[in-house]
Amino acid sequence: MHSIYTFVTGPLVWVAFLVFIGGLAGKFVYLTSLAKNKDPYVFSYLHLKYALRSIIVWLIPFSTRNMRLNPVMTVVTFAFHICLIIAPIFLLAHVIMFEEAWGVSWWTLPDAVADVMTWVVLASIVFFVVRRRVVPEARYVTGPKEFVILGLVALPFLTGFLAYYQIFDYQTMIILHVLAGEAMLVAIPFTWLSHVMLYPMIRGYMGSEFGAERHVKDW
Amino acid sequence: MTGKLALWAGLGLLTALFVWPTLFVGPALSQDDMTHIITDAFGVKQRPASVFVHDEHNIKAEIEDDCWLCHHFDGKNPDPMDSSAGMPCVDCHPVKADPDQTPLMQAFHKQCKDCHLEKKAGPIACGECHVRP
Ligand code: HEC
Ligand code: HEC
Ligand code: HEC
Ligand code: HEC
Repeated sequence: MHSIYTFVTGPLVWVAFLVFIGGLAGKFVYLTSLAKNKDPYVFSYLHLKYALRSIIVWLIPFSTRNMRLNPVMTVVTFAFHICLIIAPIFLLAHVIMFEEAWGVSWWTLPDAVADVMTWVVLASIVFFVVRRRVVPEARYVTGPKEFVILGLVALPFLTGFLAYYQIFDYQTMIILHVLAGEAMLVAIPFTWLSHVMLYPMIRGYMGSEFGAERHVKDW
Repeated sequence: MTGKLALWAGLGLLTALFVWPTLFVGPALSQDDMTHIITDAFGVKQRPASVFVHDEHNIKAEIEDDCWLCHHFDGKNPDPMDSSAGMPCVDCHPVKADPDQTPLMQAFHKQCKDCHLEKKAGPIACGECHVRP
């Protein structure tokens, strides 16, 4: 227990974050150099104001036509992303571990709130799975890989929940939880989870082209 | 006969005298009955109280004679000849501490986990100490 736990919560955390950040940085460099070679006009179009305008508009619920056409999907997607990002960053246990390792700490959520947010994430993923099987335009772009990736996102939350409530063997569950979180981080640069970075890049470009060049909205 | 009766009555009275109050106050405040670290200093608790069977723990860890290891007067320079046993940690480690003090939760976590890590024995993950009832 001791050696496995200290390994997965120590060196392996570094590896996971390095792959996560390094992978995204590599992808950024690769994509921008690709654009430079194939379509250099991309850069001359870029316009900070319109780029930011598009990024921000698309972060506001029901701000775009597409969001208004799919209200259920809009509510679930926003709730999902907010909980997915906020809960792990402000989880008391995570902050305590950072504080004990580095002496830095920040504001935390009450465990009861983090609990509800975990439910929201898990329920949303069930919704996404059902939607990908039922809605034709989603089913069309869904293969087994999509479900594996959704599972990869669900796993840290599921195991975190089971560890918190000490359901099944705690020591196994807490180690699985840490590994699942690290696996998800590592997967981000190499799967469509990289939309964490591609989202602002693509919106920034679209916003610039539509706003500064064509003088129309891109939403 | 009356002597025997008086003896039984006297014994009964004595027993009642000593047993009766404990029914009201519950377990006496002594480390030999301690199974968890119960403190109300934290206010609203986020976790179940940490397991700590005081005497059994210290015998297993072979520190049953070293009260000063945990019950120090100054954690930075603990003195083997001087123990603060009986004083709750919160007396010197408030929940919201000054910058040069170790706050209560960190005091517990550091004292307990540093030794477990060093000895490679004893709990180090949250749920191993904060066991749900
Ligand atoms: C591994 C660390 C450790 C060692 C060693 C240790 N104690 Fe304790 N003891 C504690 C902790 C932690 C508490 C709870 C303190 C609190 O509630 O703030 C405690 C509480 C107590 C209490 C109060 C009991 C109560 O119910 O409030 C007494 C008395 C006590 N210890 C005596 C001793 C004596 C005597 C020794 C040595 C024979 C000893 N302890 C060794 C950690 C230790
Ligand atoms: C009589 C006062 C007093 C009591 C009682 C006391 N401590 Fe301390 N402790 C101190 C002082 C003084 C320091 C050094 C300043 C600081 O870090 O707060 C200290 C430091 C510490 C440290 C940090 C040590 C380091 O290496 O930096 C820990 C951990 C700690 N105490 C845990 C505990 C625990 C757990 C208890 C209860 C079992 C306890 N203390 C009871 C006075 C006390
Ligand atoms: C000076 C060293 C030391 C300190 C301080 C210490 N422990 Fe331990 N603890 C041990 C060792 C060694 C073991 C393993 C004992 C064994 O099973 O052989 C252990 C085991 C335990 C266990 C598992 C007991 C069991 O029966 O398996 C718990 C729970 C525990 N410690 C809680 C605590 C808590 C809570 C504190 C802080 C108040 C604490 N310990 C402080 C050395 C320490
Ligand atoms: C070695 C045992 C041990 C481990 C491991 C441990 N704790 Fe604690 N913790 C304690 C003790 C002892 C206290 C003080 C008594 C109490 O309130 O349980 C405490 C207090 C707390 C408190 C303040 C009281 C409350 O419930 O609000 C929080 C929060 C807490 N721990 C969270 C955690 C988290 C999160 C982890 C894992 C990152 C963790 N602990 C790991 C022993 C431990």
